[in-house]
Amino acid sequence: MALLEVKDLGVDFGAHRAVDNVSLHVDAGEVLGIVGESGSGKSVTALALMGLIDEPGRVHAQRLMFDGRDLLAMPVNERRGLLGRDIAMIFQDPMASLNPCFTVEFQLVETLRIHEGGSRKALRARALELLKQVEIPDAERRLAAYPHQLSGGMSQRVMVAMAIACHPRLLIADEPTTALDVTIQAQMLALLLRLQRGTDMALVLITHDLGVVAEVAQRVLVMYAGQVVETARVPELFEAPRHPYTEALLAALPEHNIGQRRLRSMGGVVPGAFDRPSGCLLAPRCRYVQPRCHDERPALDGDIGAQARCFYPLTRVTA
Amino acid sequence: MSEPGVVLESQALAKHYAVSTGFLKPRALARALDGVSFTLQAGQTLAVVGESGCGKSTLARQLTMIEAPTSGALLLAHSGEERADVTHADRALKRQLRQQVQMVFQNPFASLNPRKKILHALEEPLAINTDLGEAARGERARAMMARVGLRPEHDARYPHMFSGGQRQRIAIARALMLRPKIVVLDEPVSALDVSIQAQVLNLLMDLQDETQVAYVFISHNLAVVELIADEVLVMYLGKVVEQAPKRTLFAAPRHPYTRALLASTPRIDASARRQRQVLSGELPSPLSPPSGCAFHQRCPFAVERCRVEVPVLEDLGLGQRVACHRVHEIG
Repeated sequence: MALLEVKDLGVDFGAHRAVDNVSLHVDAGEVLGIVGESGSGKSVTALALMGLIDEPGRVHAQRLMFDGRDLLAMPVNERRGLLGRDIAMIFQDPMASLNPCFTVEFQLVETLRIHEGGSRKALRARALELLKQVEIPDAERRLAAYPHQLSGGMSQRVMVAMAIACHPRLLIADEPTTALDVTIQAQMLALLLRLQRGTDMALVLITHDLGVVAEVAQRVLVMYAGQVVETARVPELFEAPRHPYTEALLAALPEHNIGQRRLRSMGGVVPGAFDRPSGCLLAPRCRYVQPRCHDERPALDGDIGAQARCFYPLTRVTA
Repeated sequence: MSEPGVVLESQALAKHYAVSTGFLKPRALARALDGVSFTLQAGQTLAVVGESGCGKSTLARQLTMIEAPTSGALLLAHSGEERADVTHADRALKRQLRQQVQMVFQNPFASLNPRKKILHALEEPLAINTDLGEAARGERARAMMARVGLRPEHDARYPHMFSGGQRQRIAIARALMLRPKIVVLDEPVSALDVSIQAQVLNLLMDLQDETQVAYVFISHNLAVVELIADEVLVMYLGKVVEQAPKRTLFAAPRHPYTRALLASTPRIDASARRQRQVLSGELPSPLSPPSGCAFHQRCPFAVERCRVEVPVLEDLGLGQRVACHRVHEIG
């Protein structure tokens, strides 16, 4: 049974549907990548799962099951106890996610106190242990540090420490390495994977970096304009994409165009809130577009392991 | 500088900042840029690669004459084959030279004046630096808008009405209005999505083919650099650690830091992935740089000599220069 099962999740901001019927499932010990460009709804999906969408946003779903429990039917207090403890999240900008007015120790202990409790001494010891677990050098001294005294990489490690403080079963990481330098990004990914494998935790990795997903995830969800357009297992998605958007995204990567003087780019931009096409959302940009695509919206179709939202999914392996 | 086509030459360029360390405490010296030399030819792209704090943006500020370097010389192509040293130029000459070097910034949301219509923003460099009349300025600006892929009706719009990719096109158009010989691009595509990034990179390459403009392309994205650069400069803590033609650098990186950078870049194709070697530690503070080689604390090959002696750039032939004591031993 899946650890997290989401069916037809939608998020509306007024008339604008930011997330449109997203269904996904994550198993224990699995790494699921969610990729997409700005405005594709990947972050809003994560925030909705964490119950972090504020008014006027509206979240609705057919089913939202975590570990066999229905998050939709659950009393608010019970759900609050679960979020942050069993489902934890780390955000893109570590500098903005830590409170600048409090020390690392205060913020770590706060999390532990709310969810687990214990004596002050025990909480401090546990906070120190967490910092060591995320490989922060000189951990004892860093406990007393304020966020501005830490580098971006160190801040993100503190965020990870906070997220894993209560042994979550599921960790949602929203662009955890985007703000970091390449060598620090490599350290951070290695750390996340080590923690994930060591505890059989499920990891949902949200990123725009296809390279990161290719190296880390086992399964991928590709999102475009609020919809899931393709799901597949990892080598397959990159070797034989079935949705034209996935194919175009891969073809536009600089590393697939080395030695050429032009990138194979896709024209146009992601449709915004007010210029959604009536048919397939990709139709105005798609190179394989057919008359039918302008009139009808395709549904997510295919086997359970590999689905594509396209009337004419690609079957050949494209070079 | 007898070589033809050289539009810019940097000779041991350095910029040191005096940084306050606290009330009544002595000021510390940050060597943000410490002896960087290179030449740039018309129609070529020099990529500058490195992590935050390595001095990439400080270099950009020296090249665009926003700041005066602490030491070293910066020679710019002036009129014809003549070159002028920026560091010793008077005001009038500097004013002329500034027209030769233009800049495009990372964040297209912050680099355009929100109160100016696009046509006005594009005309402004001409109004300041040339004696063209209003009609002629408008004509040049509209021609440039068409060239970078903006529609004519965009001219009376404000920046907030454009997407990130379109704004970056506007920023590129503005930089090219004075027909500069050099454009310094500071992370021009890192704020853009993959599909938009490809469009902007294509535009930059097309413009270079047409106008023979030279680019100084500052980036941390090695995949983009591998595509667009002719020559690559790898910087670490204000110094060049490796400089080589693109092909050489990506095929056979010699400095341990370059290798680590390449190995740290996530790749889609499993065959393109290099032996992952995660570097420990972070970039040291430029206020208290390590003794000897600045990289020795994180380097897997460091020996006693690296802790004591600062390595100098050594020419390995074929345009490849590396600053490492053990470059011949580690192969």
